[in-house]
Amino acid sequence: MQYPAPIAKLMEGFMKLPGIGPKTASRLAFYVLEMKEDDVLEFARSLVHAKRDLMYCSQCHHITDVDPCRICEDTSRDQTVICVVQDAKDVIAMEKMREYNGLYHVLHGAISPMDGIGPEDIYVAELIKRLQENENIQEVIIATNSTIEGEATAMYISRLMKPTGIKTTRIAHGLPIGGDLEYADEVTLSKALEGRREI
Amino acid sequence: MYIRTLRLKQFRNYDRLDLQVENKVNLILGENAQGKTNLMEAIYMLAFAKSHRTANDKELIQWNQDFAVIDAELEKKNGHATLGIVLSSKGKKTKINHLEQQKLSDFVGTMNVVMFAPEDLHLIKGGPRLRRRFIDMGIGQISTVYLHDLSLYQRILKQRNQLLKSMFPVPQEDQEIMLDILSEQLSVAAAKVIERRFAFLRLLEKWSREIHEEITRQSETLTIRYQPSCNVSEEMDLSMIEKRMKETLERDKQQEIRRGLTLTGPHRDDMSLFINGKEVQVYGSQGQQRTVALSLKLAEIELIYDSIGEYPILLLDDVLSELDHHRQTHLLNAIQSKVQTFVTTTSVDGIEHQTLQEATTFYAKEGTLTKMK
Ligand SMILES: Nc1ncnc2c1ncn2[C@@H]1O[C@H](COP(=O)(O)OP(=O)(O)OP(=O)(O)O)[C@@H](O)[C@H]1O
Ligand SMILES: [Mg+2]
Ligand SMILES: [Zn+2]
Repeated sequence: MQYPAPIAKLMEGFMKLPGIGPKTASRLAFYVLEMKEDDVLEFARSLVHAKRDLMYCSQCHHITDVDPCRICEDTSRDQTVICVVQDAKDVIAMEKMREYNGLYHVLHGAISPMDGIGPEDIYVAELIKRLQENENIQEVIIATNSTIEGEATAMYISRLMKPTGIKTTRIAHGLPIGGDLEYADEVTLSKALEGRREI
Repeated sequence: MYIRTLRLKQFRNYDRLDLQVENKVNLILGENAQGKTNLMEAIYMLAFAKSHRTANDKELIQWNQDFAVIDAELEKKNGHATLGIVLSSKGKKTKINHLEQQKLSDFVGTMNVVMFAPEDLHLIKGGPRLRRRFIDMGIGQISTVYLHDLSLYQRILKQRNQLLKSMFPVPQEDQEIMLDILSEQLSVAAAKVIERRFAFLRLLEKWSREIHEEITRQSETLTIRYQPSCNVSEEMDLSMIEKRMKETLERDKQQEIRRGLTLTGPHRDDMSLFINGKEVQVYGSQGQQRTVALSLKLAEIELIYDSIGEYPILLLDDVLSELDHHRQTHLLNAIQSKVQTFVTTTSVDGIEHQTLQEATTFYAKEGTLTKMK
């Protein structure tokens, strides 16, 4: 079926989003045609703003609209602990738990040679620099995922941290999980802050 | 355990099949290319969630169709289970009692199967890959934990090999650290796999030695030895195996970087078989190799009984004609009335064993099965 050019272009845009194929894209595009013009404008604006106004915090690399971010700026938080996570989503999940009151450091990924991701592709060097420049830090909790890559990243960080003498703990997970192998599947394991061990 | 009903939909050359079977020997008779192996494959799928002859699930879906279904009612010692597999272009879904299983490893092991096919006769003389597969499937059937450990090992191995490749010719400092970490991860995973394989082969030896002696009228003693690529032995505990693995990886680092490959570990291990102290792989006659393959398969049946308390389902695809009269008799005696068995053959001429005379016979033709008696 031949779509009119504006629709085709809109569909193309939707299809750049994860999990959206041609079918869903066409449904969404036709839905947009039915929407009120104000709503469409509002939606378009928020898309642009989210992109333009959001950045990574220069200290913890969490997504933020002000720099430093609100978490880094919050003096009521414990300034002696940093929790290292893989993604910005993890910060949001941790914050929802309301159990943790320290600072964060977002790596934006895990080391995975298979995917061509080395230490220089994630914010590891920035973490070490941050620790060297900030004398308040007494503990670093590594909360990377319990996958092989998450574990390897945790081990890598703890090696680099050895010379700093700062206490390093690893968040307790269940069994580490495999990956794409036939019998291995993704399992989400509950992350228990309490059970962290020193590494 | 035994299958009560088996239903296929658009699986290979079976458009629709609704088969009722009993807990005994079922003989599938038919000419070439009628669907005998396809039926075996469907039953095998229910045990392992993958085919014994292809890694590509799409081949299993009937041509010009977009999905295939395998369903079975299974009777087990402690109750009844319904198993289901749906294959489609989107992938594979497995169900136990109509509940979709999130992990394949939760599905595998519900039904146990031992298959004996002409390819298995190469188990002795063929490449080590075949023997590793035999060991891994054997343990995997009785231990989900092992499947998990093995897949973990394989993923770390992939990561490590990729890293090694990227380190040639000039390794960076951070790569050296990463290699060290991956070697550590690999050693931990390897030790678990190796320890479990040692234990499995010990048990397998116990059972197969007895069976082999019987078949050979006490003239041959079978010995099985695990041949690890790393310098470890059966007496070592996990941490010792782990330590040896790490030392070896450390020792061979430069060579591994040059070759871009991990040279030591369970993926390079093998097993050796001996008759009266002589290695079968080197000195065994064809007949001896077949007998050993048969002994191993029969031992696997006993081993499963030993670990889960009931017999698996036995699939004999086209092997009767490959065995001489004496071995046929032994095989048929062994399964008599205790193991639900599916036997395929193009002809029963010359096989007069009582087990086959008492079997339910189905005639396979162009993707249909007709009960004969
Ligand atoms: N995806 C598929 N869709 C339809 N037919 C298929 C499919 N895959 C295989 N077949 C057909 O199934 C037949 C092979 O069946 P099978 O391997 O079960 O034969 P068999 O009865 O075991 O024969 P043999 O005695 O030679 O081993 C072939 O004719 C093949 O064309
Ligand atoms: Mg066949
Ligand atoms: Zn911040």
